Amino acid sequence: MTAAASGQRAVGREARRFRITPRVRGRELGLLSLVAIGLFIGSLSLGATERLKAAQLDGDPASVNLLGPADPAFIVVYLGALFAVHLALVIAGRRTDQILLPTVGMLGGIGLLLMERLPQDLAGRLGGLASTQLVWLVIGLAIIAGLAIAVRNDVWLRRYKYTWAAVGVGLLLMTFLFGRDVNGARLSLTIGPFSGQPSELLKVILVVFLAGYLSENRRLLVEESTRIGPLRLPPLPYLAPMVAMWTIALGIVIVQRDLGAALLFFAVFLLLLYVSTARVGYVVLGLGAFVVGAAALYFLFGHVRTRIDIWLDPFADPNGAGYQVVQALHAFARGGLIGTGLGGGLPTIAGRPPIPALHTDFPFAALGEELGLVGILAILGLYLVLVERGLRIASAAQDEFRAILAAGLSLVIGVQAFIIAGGNLKLIPLTGITLPFVSYGGSSLLANAVIVGLLIALSERTRDPLPPPRRLGRIRRMLDRGAA
Amino acid sequence: MDAAVLAIWVLRLLFLAILYAFLWMVVRALIRDLRSAAREPVRELGRLVVVASPSGEPAAGSVFALDAITSLGRDVNNAIVLDDEFVSASHAALTYRGRAWYVEDLGSTNGTFVNGSQVDGLAPIAFGDEIQIGQARLRLERART
Repeated sequence: MTAAASGQRAVGREARRFRITPRVRGRELGLLSLVAIGLFIGSLSLGATERLKAAQLDGDPASVNLLGPADPAFIVVYLGALFAVHLALVIAGRRTDQILLPTVGMLGGIGLLLMERLPQDLAGRLGGLASTQLVWLVIGLAIIAGLAIAVRNDVWLRRYKYTWAAVGVGLLLMTFLFGRDVNGARLSLTIGPFSGQPSELLKVILVVFLAGYLSENRRLLVEESTRIGPLRLPPLPYLAPMVAMWTIALGIVIVQRDLGAALLFFAVFLLLLYVSTARVGYVVLGLGAFVVGAAALYFLFGHVRTRIDIWLDPFADPNGAGYQVVQALHAFARGGLIGTGLGGGLPTIAGRPPIPALHTDFPFAALGEELGLVGILAILGLYLVLVERGLRIASAAQDEFRAILAAGLSLVIGVQAFIIAGGNLKLIPLTGITLPFVSYGGSSLLANAVIVGLLIALSERTRDPLPPPRRLGRIRRMLDRGAA
Repeated sequence: MDAAVLAIWVLRLLFLAILYAFLWMVVRALIRDLRSAAREPVRELGRLVVVASPSGEPAAGSVFALDAITSLGRDVNNAIVLDDEFVSASHAALTYRGRAWYVEDLGSTNGTFVNGSQVDGLAPIAFGDEIQIGQARLRLERART
């Protein structure tokens, strides 16, 4: 009895030492309840549509019972995982953002409903499409919870920025050398039983490195010593990383044939340069370099030229090169204003969905067909919310590193969503990149989960002192010695 | 049959409606957050935290709210008085110009250092940087929001 009581007191002391006090997250709970209701209705709608279709095929539509979700297990497991993350965040009791998790949960749930509705054998040798996606979503939610709770200190990120950069370049080189070619692009890397797309992780590493580099060298980048006409530029040596970044982006296009990742990296790099220095000159210079590089690639490499030509006129070869884009445009057209309803899109052609690579590259077109203009505007709105939250976290951050990191992480999600949505809509040339949290794919889901987990951790309104900056130099060491 | 089609129509519209209800609730929360942030009067442009102060005046850990111009030195007429024999009477000034902070050495005997490198005249500084004046180390931080 007394032993138990003292044991309980010891546990209480432990808890106080780590200052774990549960904190109610009312806004998050309210929004998550709405996500749960929405996804349940979506599942009902999908189930009813599919049952009606099946009954029509059997020729006996009158007797069918339509009520009931499509596949209750998926939605129950997913919502359970979402509320478990919410509970974990409540118990951890940090004053962190309450809007990111429900927004991501909504996007992930819509993606799950879409995967349930597609032919299940698209996932290849793994299990069904929806069940694999569900497993990755749950792992992703666990990562979000883990990072949001555990990351209290960012020293391990800011101290080792060159180590992170080296890891990133190493991953890239390994993909160049040992990568497996899929559809002409060398993207996936297989190590033992694991295979993944390193460029997904690379985008997180890139932002961490840039945040470290820019926050440390901001002073030098803001000073001006070179002038070219109306452009004011920093000392030329500090343009070296910009040139390096441009070269890496070109390398990704030439060696990996991955236009989307190159576009994403370069766009995020330019945006972060602007965020940290507020100098339009950099953006102008970077855009100039982009135009020069893009023009050179267009004339030198066939695969780049094909993409641009398809973008300019997909109907030149509607059954060959332009097939994907043309089918996507037809899907948007079929969707109209409010769409055909979940599950009501065009049935598969010979067991395949009408658009090749629909589950990874064209979920936006599929949603455009089934939810219509109204639905995809709402989905774009959800991405805007994620970006706004990230920039708000950046503006409230305590120092440059955290601010640039938060801005960069949220812009990665926003730029990705723009590139693939624009590509599906033929607004910009199509590049193979995933729609964050909606597209099928483990690497993409995990990398985006890392981003959201870090953003939630960064949003804490802390009273803890900052870690000291790195280069304190001689004076401090001299003082320390003098004191000793 | 007709009832079934009607039910599916209702479910489809309901799903879209809830999607928009969610978006509306989120956006309302965002606007409320921005409004409350804007309503808080900004009294300070930044804050200076004393990281280490061997002389004891000011004490380590104390925090100063910064105006657009803040003078530092040993003389009592400075906005922040550093009572340290290595500090000049009028040692340095912190100024907020445009949208950036600068530290200016006012011809001190022992110099002003930012993150360990000596300031020559005027130097821009960022939040999180450490300024060394005499034996005291001070860190520039963002104003609390």
